[in-house]
Amino acid sequence: MSEVLETPVTTAKLALEGVTSGYGHVEIIKDLSLEVRPGEIFALMGKNGMGKTTLLKTIVGLLPARRGRILLDGADVTKRGPKALVDRGVAYAPQEQPLFQDLSIRDNLRLALPSDKALAAGLERVYGHFPFLADRLAQKAGTLSGGEQKMLIIARAMMTEPDLLLIDEISEGLQPTVIERIAAALKDERANGTTILIVEQHLAFVLGIADRWAVMKLGQIDDAGAIGPDTEARVLEHLRL
Amino acid sequence: MSLFLDVVTSSAVLFIVATGLLTIFGVLKIINFAHGAWLTVGGYCAVATTQTGLSPWLALPVAFVVGGVLGILTERFIVRPLYARPLDAILATWGLGIVIGQLITLIFGRDVQFTPSLIPGTVDVFGTAYSAYRLFALLAAVVLGLGFAFLMEGTRLGLSARAVIMNETLARILGLDTAKIRTVTFMIGTGLAGLAGVLLTPLTSVDPNMGVAWLVGSFMLVMVAGESFGTLAVACLLLGGAQVVVSTYVSPILGGITIAVLAALILRLSPKGFSRA
Repeated sequence: MSEVLETPVTTAKLALEGVTSGYGHVEIIKDLSLEVRPGEIFALMGKNGMGKTTLLKTIVGLLPARRGRILLDGADVTKRGPKALVDRGVAYAPQEQPLFQDLSIRDNLRLALPSDKALAAGLERVYGHFPFLADRLAQKAGTLSGGEQKMLIIARAMMTEPDLLLIDEISEGLQPTVIERIAAALKDERANGTTILIVEQHLAFVLGIADRWAVMKLGQIDDAGAIGPDTEARVLEHLRL
Repeated sequence: MSLFLDVVTSSAVLFIVATGLLTIFGVLKIINFAHGAWLTVGGYCAVATTQTGLSPWLALPVAFVVGGVLGILTERFIVRPLYARPLDAILATWGLGIVIGQLITLIFGRDVQFTPSLIPGTVDVFGTAYSAYRLFALLAAVVLGLGFAFLMEGTRLGLSARAVIMNETLARILGLDTAKIRTVTFMIGTGLAGLAGVLLTPLTSVDPNMGVAWLVGSFMLVMVAGESFGTLAVACLLLGGAQVVVSTYVSPILGGITIAVLAALILRLSPKGFSRA
């Protein structure tokens, strides 16, 4: 765990300092600190109900942090809403209700952009990763297969060339071929300078692309480190407990 | 022919009146019970414009702007804190409607007032002399409907509004300024209500309670229509048409309750009205 916390604040793309948040009277995230370095893929894992999704919602401002600070490139964004984070280059691929099912693929992708001026360039970017989108722009998102919907979610998050990409459980229920395509796309984004914080339970997928990792337990970071030969065993040990 | 024209033009008038209410209900999920008051404000914009000697046509943009500005204030200070409490929002807008009605009475008095028709005279329609103004109202409804179709389907604002309707949390995640979209939507809805008030004045007298009579019918039509302007047009045509037929052949009094009764029956049989029928 210490390695994650030792990174100086000035080098962190995203830094959480003693963040607490929750719903009603229940605190889900408890005094959590975490740093994500620029240009890395950081894997956040943990059993169900440990607060991973709640943490992402807190970072993007959907859920207010009750205590602590959230820093983006050193700037305090704790009390800012989702729009302020999007304006600062943050994109979030949520797990729950992630698409406008009755809107076309094109409109789903358009909505990621502040205006249509950059639409052509954004589409070209995502076609590179997911070519099937090009021929089906008019199709309603809700009529896509599960795997195609997941690729559309990632494509939409990539439309803005985000500086920081937050992804929540994207691989759930996907075939290996789809997971490989998403993994390749995420590695390309990292190569282009995008920092990625990904919440995942699919260890083979996420440990295959991540630079560092952490495991959450009961709203706190239970263990963390750089990806190494013993990572999978350490993570599995936490997930089995 | 005259009955057919009455059905079509009456439906058009209902569509014009209910459009503002549906705009707000569709995006904000709020039943704006001050809608009748905004209609009345529009009617008095027509009265004021006429009394000051200006062109009666000027009342249309004036009413839209007055209704829109008052709508912005209403959304910001009354409705916004109540989005999570829609029942309270109904009560609040109902109370606001009463306040607006009393303020109008203070300013203009209780007397019934009239305005000149924007388009006087008749037009020959297949041998039937028919009110030119009612035909204009039909044209206005068509323009309004097409304009809204374009706004919702062909513009970025419409896309954003539809996104907010479908999934507001996701819209926020994507950086849409949902508060601004709500304000603009409310402004458009109340502006349209003001506009509808002006368009009503050649067909009805103007008094401080003018809008109340239209509120119930509009409310029932919106409940039947759901969130779609297409189904609102259908609802206006069917229920408005029935109202005209009952008024003409049975009794004007029964005609006055036709929309409410039919809407209640439709909602009893299909709780989501025409939107999921």
